[in-house]
Amino acid sequence: MSDWTYPQRITFHDAIATMEVDFSGLTFADEAAVDAFYDHVGMRLTETGRRWFFLVIYTDCVITPAAWRRFAERGKVTNVNHSLGSVRVDATAHTREAIRESAGRESFRANIHNTRDQALLALGEMRKRQQGTHGTKEETFLRAENVSLRFGGVKAITDVSFEVKRGEISSIIGPNGAGKSSMLNVINGVYHPQEGTITFLGDVRHQMRPHEAASHGIARTFQNIALFKGMSVLDNIMTGRNLKMKANMLQQAFWLGPAQREELEHRLKVEEIIDFLEIQHIRKTPVGRLPYGLQKRVDLARALAMEPQLLLLDEPMAGMNVEEKQDMCRFILDLNDQFGTTVLLIEHDMGVVMDLSDFVVVLDHGEKIAEGTADEVRADPVVISAYLGASH
Amino acid sequence: MFYRENGQFKTTYQSDQQIFAIPQDRWAILAIVVFAFIGVPLLVDVYLLRAILIPFLILSLAALGVNILVGYCGQITLGAGASMAVGAYAAYNFLIRVSGMPALAAILLGGLVAAAAGIVFGAPSLRVRGLYLAVATLAAQFFWDWAFLRVKWFTNDSSSGSVSVADINLMGWTISTPTDKYLFCLGILVAFSLAAKNLVRGSIGRQWMAIRDMDVAATVIGIRPMYAKLSAFAVSSFYLGVAGALWGFIHLGSWEPAAFSIDRSFQLLFMVIIGGMGAISGSFFGAAFIVILPIFLNQLLPWIGTWFGLDISVALVEHVQLMVFGGLIVFFLIVEPHGIARLWSTGREKLRLWPFPH
Amino acid sequence: MGFFIETLLGGLMSGMLYSLVALGFVLIYKASGVFNFAQGAMVLFAALSMARFSEWIPEWLGMDNLFMANLLAIVVSVVVMFAVAWLIERLVLRHLVNQEGATLLMATLGIGYFLDGIGQTVFGNDIYKIDVGMPKEPVMMLESVFDGGILINKEDFVAAFIAAMLVLALTIFFQKTSTGRALRAVADDHQAAQSIGIPLGRIWVIVWCVAGITALVAGIIWGSKLGAQFSLSTVALRALPVVILGGLTSVPGAIIGGLIIGVGEKLSEVFLGPYVGGGIEIWFAYMLALVFLLVRPQGLFGEKIIDRV
Repeated sequence: MSDWTYPQRITFHDAIATMEVDFSGLTFADEAAVDAFYDHVGMRLTETGRRWFFLVIYTDCVITPAAWRRFAERGKVTNVNHSLGSVRVDATAHTREAIRESAGRESFRANIHNTRDQALLALGEMRKRQQGTHGTKEETFLRAENVSLRFGGVKAITDVSFEVKRGEISSIIGPNGAGKSSMLNVINGVYHPQEGTITFLGDVRHQMRPHEAASHGIARTFQNIALFKGMSVLDNIMTGRNLKMKANMLQQAFWLGPAQREELEHRLKVEEIIDFLEIQHIRKTPVGRLPYGLQKRVDLARALAMEPQLLLLDEPMAGMNVEEKQDMCRFILDLNDQFGTTVLLIEHDMGVVMDLSDFVVVLDHGEKIAEGTADEVRADPVVISAYLGASH
Repeated sequence: MFYRENGQFKTTYQSDQQIFAIPQDRWAILAIVVFAFIGVPLLVDVYLLRAILIPFLILSLAALGVNILVGYCGQITLGAGASMAVGAYAAYNFLIRVSGMPALAAILLGGLVAAAAGIVFGAPSLRVRGLYLAVATLAAQFFWDWAFLRVKWFTNDSSSGSVSVADINLMGWTISTPTDKYLFCLGILVAFSLAAKNLVRGSIGRQWMAIRDMDVAATVIGIRPMYAKLSAFAVSSFYLGVAGALWGFIHLGSWEPAAFSIDRSFQLLFMVIIGGMGAISGSFFGAAFIVILPIFLNQLLPWIGTWFGLDISVALVEHVQLMVFGGLIVFFLIVEPHGIARLWSTGREKLRLWPFPH
Repeated sequence: MGFFIETLLGGLMSGMLYSLVALGFVLIYKASGVFNFAQGAMVLFAALSMARFSEWIPEWLGMDNLFMANLLAIVVSVVVMFAVAWLIERLVLRHLVNQEGATLLMATLGIGYFLDGIGQTVFGNDIYKIDVGMPKEPVMMLESVFDGGILINKEDFVAAFIAAMLVLALTIFFQKTSTGRALRAVADDHQAAQSIGIPLGRIWVIVWCVAGITALVAGIIWGSKLGAQFSLSTVALRALPVVILGGLTSVPGAIIGGLIIGVGEKLSEVFLGPYVGGGIEIWFAYMLALVFLLVRPQGLFGEKIIDRV
């Protein structure tokens, strides 16, 4: 593998407009090696005269730190000039971090998958989205319009509107009591706003019940971890599959074919999530016995088990130490990449927000005071004086 | 040492999900069941069958029903006796009014009627919980108490107020001797226990437990509280109804509404609390305890009395029984809210490690 | 018409008796958030204590002054109820702080059974007389207004008056004294109350004491009417619908609720009963409570129950 030359490692698949690059077993030891590769690729691409999707296979590929910066620079240029979108396969954790870190969040989707088949599927989705055959180009993913919420005399939210785009990670930030959790509760159907509408997947609603929201693809985690304390981790996550389980009670009582098959099928899916969140070792433990950080992970797993389109995370990093936060960040980014789940999160740690978010909404005393990308919001004087502290 | 799971690796999810995952457990349960079917009738004398074992089997079934509702779904009920009554009287009416109705069918139909009544009287659980729900179930209890006493149709216009059922017939097998009755009840209990275990480890069981633990979070996941709660009432009342029919048909032979009064409801609740809420085995432990305790005290107290030269009257034994019940409820709620079942499973955990301390 | 008024008044009177028991429920719930299923057993225990001590004290002290005997018996019974309250707090409640309502409810069920048992063991299980000089003869009143007059039971009348006085005293206690305020804080949130320094244990003893005294009053009045016997403990079950109607946290509610239930029971029995076979008193009251549960769970005067997300 490692003695293939560059031409042999590059394949153009016309039918799916994809250029496949196989880095397996290669080592990029220095800038010269990187340049050699990119010169060749650039030449091939210019020859074709068109843009391609990139499918890059990173199995056992080693990129030394010395080569990294060059790799990222050249990669960016190539993407900008020739790419329709990229999917990557089997990159090691180190490579993933490096990719993300050096590329910056706003203009770059890492899109890293475990197997080539998964990557091809994601590529297919990407193509369909771009061609508009998914029908979702025009459809609003999530929009809150003029939402107002009052509890008796207390105004929790006043006339807040914003939009969340599919596939992005968005955050709501603001001082305590700004109405962030309430906003999430409104989207989720737990609170019913007095005014305003929530549009999800094109459907405009004034209010809905929580389990309706769940059946339409909205999942959430809670600030104070609403796990089912009497059950094990596995059972808790299995409850997340509840909407998808169809066997009736009689079948369950006698453990007849359909009930048993369904149970095993969903167990398989749940195990994938357990693997993804690295909680295999505690799957039979009653959740009441777990430390706080792991409980939060189980909460996330349960929400993921619903295979939601929109995931609402209520302060997922609260009470965690630095390592746990890094782990959680990694999981959120991965689930956004791998499963394509749109994420809307509430968070106080500004570092996390900046790292994760494509889009930020700032609330203060129930009103929206700013919105935009993380950098824009960070520089906004209104936000600074209300929340981040006046700069001197 | 002998109870370790060393070397037992589950290679499929299917084997992981079995009811008795450890072979030692499977053999043990098999042995118990075989002994129950074959050994007990041969070894045990008739009095024991009649006074202890048959009531134990039927009350275990009833306790299973209560456990499903209170222990797994977290809905408190003080009307379990009423569900038993509905089952008994419904089965009775099916038996005598529909010619040619097989007894077993009548019993099961009685259970279904009890299930329907359970859904109706369980509807308040959608609005209220805790004490308020308890009061709502009491309404059901008192209503049915009155109905079976005063509405003549239910008792087939019996002048004495009580009804009786002759020895029942199951496809040619006349169930008349205590051994027959014992085997019949045992068969039903084993079948229903298996079904209950399947239900609680499946999707509906998880829904019940989710509602019990945190019903707001449950709705957010997509569990519909109405379905979960009412299904719990339905299944629980079905079990209670069948148990009630068995209690009337098999154990008592002839009964009055007082057999299913509020005292019965309390008794069932106590069984579940002491035995273990949220554990199938808890129902059995609790039933055994409640059945054996009075008999035990009846023997023990006069014997203690002879030490002190005191004459222990029957009334006194009853009073002491109340004290012991009350005291034990409080004791278990403070010390081990999960009842004997938890003590048992903790013991087994220690056994798995034996002879090592941890 | 006269008959209707009689029934009505009879209902009002018996309603007051229910209120006396309901008061005990409300007090403990108001102050500790616990619903005391053992209230009926406490009424029985108090009544038995009163009955037996009013017998035994003259025997032991060789006195024959009925008034003194009763007075001493009351004093002793108050002490006994204080001891019961203290023991309950010490042995049971202390260990169940911050458990959920259902657990506490079942614990009080257990306490109730225990009290039933020990009461009868210590005091005996016959029917015992309580004679505190309540008037026994009924009296005819308003003969000029209604044909033949209306039969009123003087005993019930006196009982209603005593109950009203008790309610007044308790309302003042809760609203005006600092202890009353502390009690209300505890009912709201055990942990919060503890964290501002309210001595939970002592408060609970006070509350159960007050409830015990209420039980004693109820026990004396009911016992005087019916005799101190086991069926008294089932009185609690008759009083449950009262607190649902009136509101579990409202002292006036216990009275109003009691009146409504009392009247409702009597009227339904007399006017509806014959059509459906009679004996509908008990479940009529519960059906009324059921309707309230579905429509207005907090009762007429109770505080709204808020479910926090």
